[in-house]
Amino acid sequence: MFGLPGHGMHLRLDALSMLFGCILLPQTVAAAVAGMRASVPFWVFVLGMALTLAAGDAFTLILGFELMSAASWLLVMQGDARPATLYAGIAIFSGACLIPALFLPASSLAFVLVALGAGAKAGLAPLHSWLPRAHPAPPAGVSALMSGGMVKVALYVLIRYAFVNLASAQQPWWGETLVAAGALSVLIGALRAALEVELKAALACSTVEHVGLIAMGLGLALYAKASGEAELSGLALQAALLCAVAHGLFKPLLFIGAGEVKHATGTTSMNWLGGLMRGMPRLGALMLLGAAGMAALPLGPGFAPEYLLFHAVISAAATGGILARIGFSATLAVLGIGAALALAASVRLVGMGFLGRPRSLHAAAAEDLRRGPFMAMTLLATLAIPVALVPGLILSLLNPVILLLAPQALTPPLSYAPLTLLVLTGLAALAAGFAQTRWGGRGLREAPAWNGGFGRPPAWLPFGDPRTQISATGFAEPVMRSIGRELLGTAPVDPAERFLLIPLIRAQRRGVRLAERMRRATIRERLAFVFAVLVTFLLALGLGRGG
Amino acid sequence: MLAVALAFIATALHIVLCFAAAPLVTGITNKLRAWLLGRRGPPWLQPYRHLAKLLCKSSFVPDTATDLFTVWPLGAFLALAVATMLIPGFANGMLTADAGDYITIVGLFALARAAIMLGGLETGFGFGGAGAAREALFGVFAEAALLVLLLAFALLAQSTNVDGIAEAFRTTHIGISVSLGFALAAMLTVALTETGRIPTDNPSGHLELSMVHEAMALEYSGRLLALLDYAGMLRLIAWMNLIGTIFLPFGMARASEISSWPGGLALWAGKLLAMAAALSAFEVSRAKMRVFRVPEFLGAALLLGMLASVFLFVAARIGA
Repeated sequence: MFGLPGHGMHLRLDALSMLFGCILLPQTVAAAVAGMRASVPFWVFVLGMALTLAAGDAFTLILGFELMSAASWLLVMQGDARPATLYAGIAIFSGACLIPALFLPASSLAFVLVALGAGAKAGLAPLHSWLPRAHPAPPAGVSALMSGGMVKVALYVLIRYAFVNLASAQQPWWGETLVAAGALSVLIGALRAALEVELKAALACSTVEHVGLIAMGLGLALYAKASGEAELSGLALQAALLCAVAHGLFKPLLFIGAGEVKHATGTTSMNWLGGLMRGMPRLGALMLLGAAGMAALPLGPGFAPEYLLFHAVISAAATGGILARIGFSATLAVLGIGAALALAASVRLVGMGFLGRPRSLHAAAAEDLRRGPFMAMTLLATLAIPVALVPGLILSLLNPVILLLAPQALTPPLSYAPLTLLVLTGLAALAAGFAQTRWGGRGLREAPAWNGGFGRPPAWLPFGDPRTQISATGFAEPVMRSIGRELLGTAPVDPAERFLLIPLIRAQRRGVRLAERMRRATIRERLAFVFAVLVTFLLALGLGRGG
Repeated sequence: MLAVALAFIATALHIVLCFAAAPLVTGITNKLRAWLLGRRGPPWLQPYRHLAKLLCKSSFVPDTATDLFTVWPLGAFLALAVATMLIPGFANGMLTADAGDYITIVGLFALARAAIMLGGLETGFGFGGAGAAREALFGVFAEAALLVLLLAFALLAQSTNVDGIAEAFRTTHIGISVSLGFALAAMLTVALTETGRIPTDNPSGHLELSMVHEAMALEYSGRLLALLDYAGMLRLIAWMNLIGTIFLPFGMARASEISSWPGGLALWAGKLLAMAAALSAFEVSRAKMRVFRVPEFLGAALLLGMLASVFLFVAARIGA
């Protein structure tokens, strides 16, 4: 139908594409229910992603991938034209890397090109700085699908090529490169998520972090596969794939919720929100679940993948050369810092957005979420519960995919048992309830907050003095002061922008100026240039002959 | 069958003893600290009276707080209660041993920290927010240092389970290792920060600009405050158990052998007493740090944790 002349178009579904299809399906349904039903570019976007997943040959894959890029560019442009140019540039870069890579024979060059192309699209550091700008721009449903789905499709291409199509040329350094890029993404993504004031931008930065976690898992698996460690490759693949599944559920949930916050209050800046739990209790409860996943807290959907990844890094550091081992122990520190920063980011999201006093009249008057987004978020939350409570079952479903990617991999059973934790929590809750009913005082009385003994605010400030409540910027200040300044500088700029994008733009300007200068050259200058070249050439020739 | 029944009884005994002794450990620490400062100090049993008093009092909810105000103390208590149940105390091989992975326990501490931070942000006044912001900063380094330490333990003990680490350290001869020394220093640093003790926070301070833990509990009263205070006591005993199990595993009882229990229980009590004495002596001899010095303090712990495993790599390389 569409394919290359004489070849046609091949579609093929195997365990890997089925898994990513399953990750894509709930968020597509949720995004459609949340209000994107009537948009044509949205459905083209979904079609592009589905085509990429179902592609049986390289041409179809590229067709789907570029369809996805083009449609998402249109959707970004509808929301905000400013990041759209940067987004288009990155999409063209990733296409330019992927198209030659897919038709090259299996080699390290092909892997590097695939990693650059798919990594740029997935938001893997150092090619991530477009993501926190572009993902928040379109409407919430599309942001959800871009963060939860499009990024996964790019990772799918990376997995498909690195593990299956290029398997014959595998080298251990492929994996090490991916682990390093993943660790960088985790650090920068988590740090920026803890500092960003816009709700959707903070969520997008957290996506960079989770892409980094998945890439670390994949990199460890590649490293283990190339050096023949069966158990490590199984563990790392379990971590990466489970992280993709969990992230595909809680991140769209959070993005759709952020869209509802925008709808109800007119802003997503956390400095103008606050106290939304009062007006939007249902949204608050659902966001709390999503934030628990984002922070990788135990009994939440995000903990099991993080747990597996820690175990994978530890077992990778147990063997191998001394430099690699030191590298893996540094990776472990980065993972730890990333997990704690993600916790700070989630606490900030819930604390600033939903708890405390309203920071604006709009936040005080917010009404609870609409029917469509509520259904979408409930669907995602319901699906996140099994990931949170029976991750072992989900992992056993992932087994065929792991065997497809690394045929010799061993998958040990999961030692994290959320159900046991739940039973113990229930016991402790029973004990606390008993002590409370047996000896405790009854009832809760509402009273003005003590507030360290300060007086009541005047009557014209219905929510108290706004300046006595900490803001989102203020909450991030200690982290900014002791970590952020060293990594991002005093005026927070992403290092990828400072060291990659801004020099590129400067070089481009310089090139343009040079070209302009050459175009404007007078006839004498041109003749002088030709003459100088001729003399140099003859001199070089003469010296070469004479010497 | 008998072994399982005995393990069950040992687990129940451990849980009951830890829950009952948590206020006592706090009371002893306070008393010893007062003695070292030359004061008479509150009675040993004061924390029990304090909790009983708070339970009877009525609880106030600030009118600026949302409906979740009562949830956060409960969340913190439950997370720390589960952590206390999972960390072995007087015996190895309890029923909860399999679930007690080190990373799960770190996760439970993080969960408690998140709940307390959200409780601090709940009322929307300055102190709670400032305390939560500082706690977020401390948490970044503390959690990273704790997780890096696990690598050294896992390399030495071939296990990531706290019970497994204790078992390995008790039965195999490791000797005095530089790595374990570094690991102990790092772990003590993190423990002091997490439990809000003196170099980073003042447990007896009530209204200072630089308070951290106390600032987040400022608006709680009555039984909600009792829950938060009790959670703090549980955290202290959980940390003492964690350090005792990993670094002082000698003389721990086996859950399946009832004859080893009395010795194990007596030694456990002795270890807790010794750690309480060491803690109070340390607290008396140190001054509180400025808030922005704490990241350096914890950063040193992170480096020590990494050095602990790097030394092990070097030792493995040169075959020492």
